[in-house]
Amino acid sequence: MLKLGKVGLFSLASVVVLGACGGANDGNNGGNEEADTDANEEEVTIEQIGSEDADVELVFWEFGNTGYDVLIEEYVEENPHVTINLQNSDMNDLHDNLFTSISAGTGAPDISMVEEAQIGRYLNAQESFINLYDHDADNVEGEFLDWVWRGAQSGDGDFQFGLPTDIGPTVMFYRTDVFEEAGFDSSPEAVSELVATWDDFRDVAEQINEDTGKLMTDSGELVFNARRDQATQQYFNTDGELIVDEHDQMREAFDYTADLLNDGLVGDIPLWTPEWHSGMASGEYATMLAPAWMQGVIKDNEPEEGVWSITTLPEGAGNWGGSYLTIPAETEHAEEAYAFIEWLTAPEQQLKAFLGYGLFPSTPAVYDMPEFLEYEDDYFGGIATAQVFGEAAQAVEPVFKGRQYYPVDDEFKQAIDDVAGGVDPEEAWQEALDRTERILAR
Amino acid sequence: MKKRRMSDQKRTALSAYLFISPFYILFAIFGLFPMIFSFYLSFFRWDGLTPMEYVGFSNFEFIFSDPAFFSSIKNTFLIGIMGTLPQIIVALFLAFALNSQLVRFRNSFRTLVFLPYITSIVAVAIIFGVIFNNQPFGFANYVLSFFDIGPIRWNAEYWPVKIAIASMVFWRWVGYNTIIFLAGMQSIPKDLYEAAKIDGATILQQIRHITIPMLRPVIMFVVFTATIGSLQLFTEPLIFLGRGLREEGITVVAYLWRDAFVYNSFGSASAAAIVLFFIIIVLTTINFLITSRIGKSKKVG
Repeated sequence: MLKLGKVGLFSLASVVVLGACGGANDGNNGGNEEADTDANEEEVTIEQIGSEDADVELVFWEFGNTGYDVLIEEYVEENPHVTINLQNSDMNDLHDNLFTSISAGTGAPDISMVEEAQIGRYLNAQESFINLYDHDADNVEGEFLDWVWRGAQSGDGDFQFGLPTDIGPTVMFYRTDVFEEAGFDSSPEAVSELVATWDDFRDVAEQINEDTGKLMTDSGELVFNARRDQATQQYFNTDGELIVDEHDQMREAFDYTADLLNDGLVGDIPLWTPEWHSGMASGEYATMLAPAWMQGVIKDNEPEEGVWSITTLPEGAGNWGGSYLTIPAETEHAEEAYAFIEWLTAPEQQLKAFLGYGLFPSTPAVYDMPEFLEYEDDYFGGIATAQVFGEAAQAVEPVFKGRQYYPVDDEFKQAIDDVAGGVDPEEAWQEALDRTERILAR
Repeated sequence: MKKRRMSDQKRTALSAYLFISPFYILFAIFGLFPMIFSFYLSFFRWDGLTPMEYVGFSNFEFIFSDPAFFSSIKNTFLIGIMGTLPQIIVALFLAFALNSQLVRFRNSFRTLVFLPYITSIVAVAIIFGVIFNNQPFGFANYVLSFFDIGPIRWNAEYWPVKIAIASMVFWRWVGYNTIIFLAGMQSIPKDLYEAAKIDGATILQQIRHITIPMLRPVIMFVVFTATIGSLQLFTEPLIFLGRGLREEGITVVAYLWRDAFVYNSFGSASAAAIVLFFIIIVLTTINFLITSRIGKSKKVG
């Protein structure tokens, strides 16, 4: 009997433990269902905005620090029939939760923010989302940058998954002190002219390496990214077939990066590592090819003003990051949801999001607004940074990325990394191709 | 009267079943169902979003033709052996030292030695990521530079990857095993050691002829838990190598995780899980055969 009691107690204890875990998981996965959040208060913040007796409640999942709560308050004041239940969570959690709820067919919100890198995963799941073209999205299509708009589209262009919120146009951040040490004029205009092409980039890299002993940039990854994003054809065609080996743009990007690596002009300092961060402050590398949102990272690592500056990338620009607002098909209020996201992504609101929280607008109309043009940053030598990013945003080439873009891209990044480790570029390329074909065969 | 007792018995039985039922209910939902579902899934092609498509055995054919899958199995065993074998030997000596009268502040050392076990694996992996840094000034490379060994790319080269991950496993588990050994050693009668000392046995001889034979069941336990632990190796390679999980360091569990959650190929991930399931069955059977033999030899002794 004693034994039995022990067994009972033990199983009871394990039930309590398991139950607690299960509860927490449930809360995470279906965090939208009710505002009952004792288990996940830390991860998801929920805010109910609007009057209590509104006809329609929209559940809106967002991540990051967007400042949308302020904008939403404005919206519900003008539209009292709508309340918005805004739920902010960690970016990865949000995408996991969205994937799970779409896959399970229950628990998705009325509106979900989806990161640019994640939207491709849903290309096959058209039944699970509202086609925004059914809600006259073609009326607003012209307001957005063409390439951003197409980023959330099926290969044939008939299905629009989301409205773009912000973007991450890439520019060249550079250290004025290193450029001066190598005898160059360090003003943004001069550097932009000096490094107008990728051949120039290489020449300047050699010069800097010779005069200062410093690296041109941190690692091959960002050079490869920059050249990849300028390619009009990348890994897949619009039918989703692998074409990376059938045109030369990607191979050129790869060989260019490999050459720089082999000549020791580019470092082997992987992104986000401690030495990468400290390299920004100590000036181990002269440039960094990165998007608008990298400003904060640089400012955190090198507090001194006027050391880093910004100019355009050689031969155009690219994009890294940004988000879309999607409407999962489960919603019962597609119309209201669409009206809201159309309002939220309109130029006037994007300008507010930019001035308040630094979200870079996806609607070019903003780039001509006086508040935007006047935006200057003392940190980067008092230049009108927003204009530089705006120019970059308009120079991005539209490209269809495809469903498996990110895992495939990872394999080519590994190939770049292999080259940095001494592997023959041809061999590294071929291996990346083999691995890619195996991913696609799954 | 008789009837009454029957219902009493029944009632006891019923309450017992009720007491244990929550476990089984939860297990059925969170354990059994996922297991059966993944078995079912392994015959389908499914990206998690679109309808499943029956493909027969082609997921198995695929993973058996994927060199990365074999690498993952090989890695799991290599890292497993590299991480556990030295660990058990070192743990044995550590436990012996902590058990002997020679060491002062034994209780503090016992606590210290156990500390790595309770640290978060993610923290361990990040710290080891700093130690096994590819740069010349990374800690491990810096130390090696004194011996004229060039900077090693710890997260990309065949053996260095395994050494780095195995050393994480070693560091985290050595204390746990030490405590288990220590518990076993304390049940060994002290007079055996005293007698050995009188006969002039050295410490090494004591370990070889007294400690190890007396500890055999405990050693077996440690070997089994270490085997299971190394088959489940996942977090260390993931944090150390990133989501791409290079072929040089990927383990079986990491392989199937990557198939499911990076490639969205739940069918082949399930197939890999089924194969892992059979590998574990084979290993458990071998373990079982060995343990039952130990029981027999004990009776003879």
